[in-house]
Amino acid sequence: MKRDELAASLTARFGDRILGVDAFPGLLGRVRFDSTIALELFRAFRDDLKFVHLTMVGATDWVDHREVFYVLWSDADLVYVLLSTNLPPDAPTIASAVPIWPSANAHEREAWDLVGVRFEGHPDLRRIFMPEGYAYHPLLRSFKIHEPEDLEVKVRSD
Amino acid sequence: MSGQVPAAPKAGNPPAAPAQIADMPLEVIGQPGVPFVEIETLRAREFIPAAKEALSSLLKEQAEGKLIRPVFNWAGRNSLFPLHWGLACCAIEFAAAFGARWDAERFGVVPRSSPRQCDLLIVNGTVTWKVAHKLITLYEQMPEPKWAIAMGNCATGGGPFRTAYSVVPGVDKLIPVDVYIAGCPPRPENMLDGILRLEQLIKERGA
Repeated sequence: MKRDELAASLTARFGDRILGVDAFPGLLGRVRFDSTIALELFRAFRDDLKFVHLTMVGATDWVDHREVFYVLWSDADLVYVLLSTNLPPDAPTIASAVPIWPSANAHEREAWDLVGVRFEGHPDLRRIFMPEGYAYHPLLRSFKIHEPEDLEVKVRSD
Repeated sequence: MSGQVPAAPKAGNPPAAPAQIADMPLEVIGQPGVPFVEIETLRAREFIPAAKEALSSLLKEQAEGKLIRPVFNWAGRNSLFPLHWGLACCAIEFAAAFGARWDAERFGVVPRSSPRQCDLLIVNGTVTWKVAHKLITLYEQMPEPKWAIAMGNCATGGGPFRTAYSVVPGVDKLIPVDVYIAGCPPRPENMLDGILRLEQLIKERGA
């Protein structure tokens, strides 16, 4: 599969909700999409384009928006593809990919814990690195590094 | 023979103290002034009274805290059973200290796997806030008397991750620590030195 074939098939199906299919070094391409079609796009990639494996889910805080990206692997074509979408920083919410690829579970928990992206429909969206009750999302740009003496000792007691 | 004063020893023989103790009433034994018994010179029928005397004097001194506490101190500080919490590279040096080259077991230090068998908690590695409550649970599961060693810079003060959002800046924020071992990671000699310093500390401070 070539990148322009992928772009043509995606545009034919989703129209202007596909914001672009860019070249990306080492990958088949980078698909920028509108976050409202997330679940349909994931299902199309898994069932129709045979991207059976979700390699990773990540998120980045770009201050004016938050980017969520998915790296998929196709066993048929032996290529990776990168899906990317932008979320508003005041309501960073997107549909969870766990119903499509169960391997998204821990990755989405990590993105929620560190960058604060909510994944709607995630079966168990708890923090994964920080203790429960921690007040911050530490990889946000607005997070201030504390002096150790200022840290409030928060230890969950079982 | 009961109730009678035993016959005086014949001339030429040494005075037979054990024979006198064997015929004493029990409440007399253990009182001040009763001579100490050499156990090798006892005959079979004199052994039980002598053992009773020794036990009762031991118990008396234990009640006064004179004898048992130093014995426990001596025994405890020479047989520290550490619970090692290997979280990072310090655990490798800890393992090396118990290998053939450094052989920490010659100091009576035997690592155990359960906190209920341990009296020394060695935290070797970077403690994060996520596992902080587990550390407290482990420390609370150890029976008294207990001590703690913070091994390496991370456990001592957070190390290079001191300002990180996820790292406890020193395990003394969570549990009382007796000995801090510096180094990143400390050499096995350094860890042995820390254990010997803890033994000195127990000797001076008491268990």
